[in-house]
Amino acid sequence: MLALGITGAVVAVAAGLGALWRVTSGRRRRGDGERFAPGELPGLDDLAPGATLVQFSTELCAICPATRRYLEQVAAERGGVRHHEIDLTHNPQLAQRLRILQTPTVFVLDPAGRLTARFGGAPRRAELADALDQLVPQPEWNL
Amino acid sequence: MTQPAPTPTPIDSRGPRFGAGVTFVLALAALFFGLLLPLEPTLLLRIASPEFLLLLVVWIAFTIGTFFGIGANPWALVFRHWVRPRLSKPAVTEDPRPPHFALGVGFALSTIGLVLHVVGVPYGLIVASAAIVIASFLNAFVGYCLGCQVFLLLVRVGAIRPKSPIAR
Repeated sequence: MLALGITGAVVAVAAGLGALWRVTSGRRRRGDGERFAPGELPGLDDLAPGATLVQFSTELCAICPATRRYLEQVAAERGGVRHHEIDLTHNPQLAQRLRILQTPTVFVLDPAGRLTARFGGAPRRAELADALDQLVPQPEWNL
Repeated sequence: MTQPAPTPTPIDSRGPRFGAGVTFVLALAALFFGLLLPLEPTLLLRIASPEFLLLLVVWIAFTIGTFFGIGANPWALVFRHWVRPRLSKPAVTEDPRPPHFALGVGFALSTIGLVLHVVGVPYGLIVASAAIVIASFLNAFVGYCLGCQVFLLLVRVGAIRPKSPIAR
């Protein structure tokens, strides 16, 4: 029956989009090496000695608070890592300039302010750890 | 800097997902009947058609949720009184504004679908129902809030300017 087939196809499209989002979201992308001077990003006047995690959020972002809790935990676990959150709701020009299309988006900045990695969506644990490993040693290695 | 407005009380994030699940089932049925039955020739028959009535139920819930608050949404009431008492304590809470905004998106979509159907535009209700099916499926079963993602894009083009910071 055609109606049933098309209805099923619409659900399949939804499932496909969901799967695509699950697969692509939170993946690490390499930074383009762009460098942010202190004070260039709102509220970020000085950078952490290891890595600075800059989280871009909006007021109507459902997963941003959970991402904030996660990144704060990561920052607490690793020495030299700091979390900084920027609300794009009041700063659409910044979203435009940094080409941010979704929230949360997370930038990993090295001590010199260079963008070493960016994540669209909540960062995956392993891939964020990987990006941080290049800048700061893991907690165990600190011993 | 001006003092931000107080952030609203967080809600159990399973509530909006439950509501999206109910919406999904109803919109799916509306889509099916819209495809199955030919577009009725008269206004009265179109209003009495099952696809119209199903989408009307979805629209009523979206409308109440959009204009009287997310907690007043019928599916939220069902969740609070019948579903939540059977669940454990909420694992995750969230700011009520993203799902409330998503209800507004649903309201807009279902309004378009109903109006086009009443006027007699072919496929109007079908396309609107399909969009609601996809959005509510993603919300209910994948945890992806399409309406919330649209928000940043609307902010970027300057269509929306809200006031207070995110609830923690």
